[in-house]
Amino acid sequence: MKRYRGTGIVAGIAAAALLLSGCGLNEDQGEQPDAEAGASTLRIGTTTDVANFNPLGSLSKTDSWILNAMYPQLLRIDGNAEKVPELAEGYTLEDDGATVIYTLRDDFEWTDGEPVTASDVKFTAEAIMEKQLGNVAAKLTWVESIEAPDDTTVVFHLSQPYAPFAEGVGFWMRVVPEHIFAEAGDLSAFANDQADGWVGAGAYVLDSMTRGQRYVLKANENYPYAPEGGAAVGTVEYVVYPDVNTMILALRNGDIDLMGTPVPASAAASLQSEADITMEEVGSLGFAHLTYNMQNPTLAELPVRQALSMVVDTKSIISTILQGDGQEMVGPISPIFGEFDNPDLDAYPFDPAAARELLEDAGYTDADGDGMLDGLSFEVLCDQSNANLTRVAEVVREDAAKAGIDLTVACIERNTFLSRTKDGQYEIDLSQWGVFDNPMDQLRSTYLSSNPGGINYNLVEDPELDALINDAAATVDRAEFVEKIQGIDEYVHDQALLTPLYVETFRFAYRSDRFEGFDPSPSDLLGMVTGYSLSQVRPL
Amino acid sequence: MLHYASKKVLRAVLTIWIAVTITFFLLRLLPADPTLLVVEGDMTPEMQQALREQYGLDKPLFVQYLLYLGELLTGNLGVSFRQLVPVADVLLARLPWTLLLAGSAFVLTILIGIPLGVYAAVGRGKVVDKLVQFLGITSNALFVPSVAILLLVVFAANLKLFPIGGAIDPDTRGLAAYASLLQHLALPLFSLVLVQVGPYALTLRTNMLEVLGEDYIKSARSRGYTPRRTTWLHALRNAFIPALTLMGLQLGTLVGGAVLTETIFAYPGVGRLIYESVQQLDYPMLQGAFVMLALTVVLANLATDLIAMFLNPRIRT
Repeated sequence: MKRYRGTGIVAGIAAAALLLSGCGLNEDQGEQPDAEAGASTLRIGTTTDVANFNPLGSLSKTDSWILNAMYPQLLRIDGNAEKVPELAEGYTLEDDGATVIYTLRDDFEWTDGEPVTASDVKFTAEAIMEKQLGNVAAKLTWVESIEAPDDTTVVFHLSQPYAPFAEGVGFWMRVVPEHIFAEAGDLSAFANDQADGWVGAGAYVLDSMTRGQRYVLKANENYPYAPEGGAAVGTVEYVVYPDVNTMILALRNGDIDLMGTPVPASAAASLQSEADITMEEVGSLGFAHLTYNMQNPTLAELPVRQALSMVVDTKSIISTILQGDGQEMVGPISPIFGEFDNPDLDAYPFDPAAARELLEDAGYTDADGDGMLDGLSFEVLCDQSNANLTRVAEVVREDAAKAGIDLTVACIERNTFLSRTKDGQYEIDLSQWGVFDNPMDQLRSTYLSSNPGGINYNLVEDPELDALINDAAATVDRAEFVEKIQGIDEYVHDQALLTPLYVETFRFAYRSDRFEGFDPSPSDLLGMVTGYSLSQVRPL
Repeated sequence: MLHYASKKVLRAVLTIWIAVTITFFLLRLLPADPTLLVVEGDMTPEMQQALREQYGLDKPLFVQYLLYLGELLTGNLGVSFRQLVPVADVLLARLPWTLLLAGSAFVLTILIGIPLGVYAAVGRGKVVDKLVQFLGITSNALFVPSVAILLLVVFAANLKLFPIGGAIDPDTRGLAAYASLLQHLALPLFSLVLVQVGPYALTLRTNMLEVLGEDYIKSARSRGYTPRRTTWLHALRNAFIPALTLMGLQLGTLVGGAVLTETIFAYPGVGRLIYESVQQLDYPMLQGAFVMLALTVVLANLATDLIAMFLNPRIRT
């Protein structure tokens, strides 16, 4: 029987593995939690683990959800996509907008008992600028100096007025505790995981975690926006389900109470019929679009871009591919920004025949008689991981052929897609913007020829457009500012630099037999799970 | 004998070095850039450059490779791009779960696969053989994710016999914790065994059929040994040798193949870590995970070789 020893060794390895994970099971979890009376637990499904606990440089959605709840921002975005007070009561502009003064509330407190002060805000902004951390660094571009004359006043001195400065920084910057971070050494890697726990000042603060499985946050008793008597949800648990179908099963089963990620259109119908589950509709702060590479000599011709805009049937795309969960848009400004969206613009009509005429008038012919106009072949680059967009690409390709335009669809793996868009290796870019918190930042990032954020996917270099954007950026008067943004909306629309497709409506599913009272904000980054929203939830 | 052993060890080291090298260059040949994933939206060229430097991607490829090898020799797997913590820490936290899942799947596959293969071979052409062949082909054709979702829907969601996802309920202690561990393990384990056991039984059946036709089996029977003893002792012993090799290779497949299972069952093992790291282009994490997998497979094969050496006198001399 000697030869059977192989099996014995293998069994030994397995047994050792069992012991490895077996001995002292859950010992690192601390005391077994008691069933606390009164304080209820809300469990949220998410698809990814927390990758990085650093509030100054973090990026994945789960990271953002947890860190946004832990660290206060100066302003938050409400359900109407408006900035409203959070840590800051408000802000004022001086020197024609070159000085921005935030006034802070005096009742925010770090969980270790220290007050949140203006000097925490100053410290945070300076640390981000020094190390160029995350996307907030780009929002602070204009800052020359920062002052904190007293505990509740922060003054930003800018090199030039920038209209949405206060909103952008107010919304994106997570304020960190100076008394801890100043001692931390390399701030780009510091996770703020103190021996005696995490220190935060937001609505919920991380309490414990089991990597790969769950992250537990406890309500911050001192969060000023919680309802009288404190948040009803005392504990928030994020549970990781990498596969969204598994997550849907868990919601049905009652293992979780809310899906942090939006419900895919394909699963919406089946969840709709569940009596205990409600789906909340939330708008988005981004939009899907076809963007034309202006460095391509053919696409640089206006009639070609206009013709392309006329072969995109956005209405049917929204009704079939999104199953109605989307909103049309005309120019580059999303209707979610209300007054900034120019009401006088007319969408390019869906009319492939007219598009063909337009192209023929511009001199394009079909010399070889194959039905396609010569010299009008383009590749549409898209991100394979966005199921809706890959379907849009096919629909547009078929309709474009009717107008004599030959489109090839290249929907490729996400990382390769990002790399090619960054390098300008595409003719037509089919993608979806995630989050723009205000239209000015969007226009500046996407159309300035200096391409400050590297996302001018048109690669457009238009001095007139540059001038319009820079002029609007320095406009402090609100009415005038709105008018100028509307003007750019119209200019870009007339130039057909992009063909907007839709503003997606996200559906978030939760157990309405157990909880109510979410106060969602637009986008899948904010959605139902902002600290503010969770603090308003009531168990049934 | 020492010569044989040292040759085997040298070959194992060489294999690992090749695996490390291929992994290193393969990742860097991907037409993608990890720095692009760090900031969503606005990223200034300065920020991108700073990140390249932080990741060490600004150096020439070959220099990066030498630096990596040097660190690896001192046992340093590097720091994760995304998690900013040492890769080794993360891997060590995830490894026990994968070992538990893949290890028990491995053992169960063998425990179930051997009798199936033997009975099929002995009862060749009978119902039991047909059943095993049917199972073998079906199980080979099964797609893990579909099986996994089906199991979840039926046994977890509808019958509520098992939990949906996770590896253990962190709120349990003592015996309840072990029960919770087994409960969470059941479905992912079952789906892994289900797809592995068929091919395994079929291989063993073929080997057995071959061996059962050998002269020494006939002579054993003629010497009056019972059919049972001939089959289980004499025949299986020899049929088992090729199956032993298959087992060594299967361990690698199992550990690596746990990617899909762990993802669907939300099991916190190395497989899922790889899945997440690929999406994040976390080079150090992926390199570390692959080095570890390569190490597992190579060590398992080395162990098999060395055991065979002690068992088989022909190799020893």
